Amino acid sequence: MIALGCDVGSLFTKLVVIDDDRPDDVMASRVLRTTGTIGTDLEAEIDLLLHEARVPRARLGSIGATGRFASLVPGATFVEDEAHCVAAAVACYLPGVEVALHLGGQSSLAISLDAAGEPVRLVRNDKCASGTGRFLEAMGRKLDVGLDDIDGLVAGAAKPTTITNQCVVYAESEVISYINDGATRADVFAGICSSLGRMAVAQARRLCPGAMRPYTLTGGLARLASVVAVVEAGLGIQRRPFPHDPKLAAALGAALLEDDPGHP
Amino acid sequence: MSPITLGIDVGSLTAEAVALSGRELIASAQVDVLHDPVATARRVLSMLDETLRSVGLDRRQAARTIATGYGRERVCDARLADHHVSEISCHGAGAFHAPSAAAGAGVRTIIDIGGQDAKVIRVNARGELSDFSMNDKCAAGAGHFLELMCRTLGVSLDELGPLALGASHPVEMSSRCSIFIETEVLHFLQRGFDRRDIAAGVCHAMADRVLSLVRRVGVAPEVTMTGGVAKNVAVRREVERRLGHRMIDLGLDPQLVGAYGAAVLGSLEVARSGERR
Repeated sequence: MIALGCDVGSLFTKLVVIDDDRPDDVMASRVLRTTGTIGTDLEAEIDLLLHEARVPRARLGSIGATGRFASLVPGATFVEDEAHCVAAAVACYLPGVEVALHLGGQSSLAISLDAAGEPVRLVRNDKCASGTGRFLEAMGRKLDVGLDDIDGLVAGAAKPTTITNQCVVYAESEVISYINDGATRADVFAGICSSLGRMAVAQARRLCPGAMRPYTLTGGLARLASVVAVVEAGLGIQRRPFPHDPKLAAALGAALLEDDPGHP
Repeated sequence: MSPITLGIDVGSLTAEAVALSGRELIASAQVDVLHDPVATARRVLSMLDETLRSVGLDRRQAARTIATGYGRERVCDARLADHHVSEISCHGAGAFHAPSAAAGAGVRTIIDIGGQDAKVIRVNARGELSDFSMNDKCAAGAGHFLELMCRTLGVSLDELGPLALGASHPVEMSSRCSIFIETEVLHFLQRGFDRRDIAAGVCHAMADRVLSLVRRVGVAPEVTMTGGVAKNVAVRREVERRLGHRMIDLGLDPQLVGAYGAAVLGSLEVARSGERR
């Protein structure tokens, strides 16, 4: 069956189409900003996506919706929370992985999966922008650095800074004083990525107080090698890389979960 | 005339200096902070000096100068003060010995909300520090939060409180983080909500953070509120309503309390050294 997954996150909306007989081939995907008109825009976006995947609307078996604004997805067959969707995607693409660290735009989740791929335990931060994509976005706006430029920039850092504030508002002032003291944008972003990585490590440690179990990183921040390196160093073991764009993980899960009869 | 003592409070956003003769406030000055605490201290002290000279005094006559606030150590290193005392002790002393409190109000709980941090200070019957709780980790409980929201709402800090008092159906913020509430405010504006109702929602969110800090040390009457946020009438009223205690008026600009407390501690020291002599 052909299924569409739509993750309407706080910053970005992600759409995917897959054939559940061949889930490894993502037929089409789209990523767009979540704006105030996303609910009405999605109708046309879904048409564009299906056109790209060469799937007539009539062949579409289900539309799974997830994310903060999942209720805005037109024609959704079901709505599922992010943790279940991320877990479903990880169970499908990375059998044997027991923990997913999902670093999203406005929340971060550490999820542990049982043998069936169901989320069994969860550590969540959705109260505070620290450690999320919002942090990076706020800094990027302040220093005029786009998400795609960060890894290249950080690679050239000579004297990485240390950002001590967790609060995004205070970290912003800290960053500005570093710049005023002559730090380069590369040094500052190295500090920011390291701070984000450390927060993900702390969350993983809360979920797994003992030895770290096999894990993967998903969500938009998992695309940043500079953050991934800090997480891997902090946890002492390497991640199993998510085989698709990690930003699409929840949307892929929403597509995969389409005909799960065991799930309410 | 009692000996003159000075108090100087160099905070993260503003700096204040006061001159006392005994407990009587004879001069005060306030500036926005400059690039470093020492330059800020020099600026605010020279402004204080101008006022003192206009009444025929000079700050070099001061028997004691005490520094407090975030920049206090640097101010002492530059020999602009004799020594320094933590802002927690200074706020406690300032509120306890404040002009109207001196008449017998008996302040025991001081809720001090500054630009970058918030503290709840408990003092004993002698005005000495007995307990405190502090938040300097999260901007949502500090004055910086109101500044951010004012920028989003397009109003000045002074306008926010009065605007909020005009609300008929205050909005309710669902988040606690400054960054997330900023987004909520934008959404309310886009959806055409009355700015008075949004302003009230912002002030209530601030009061909510203040109350969670108060609960950590408890509250005993009399209660007062100091720091820049105390000037926001809507935040103050909401805190009063939910605490069930009225905030007593200190007869002092709430932003001057730290510097005033530093000068009071100086004057107590001078009195003690006089007794010993």
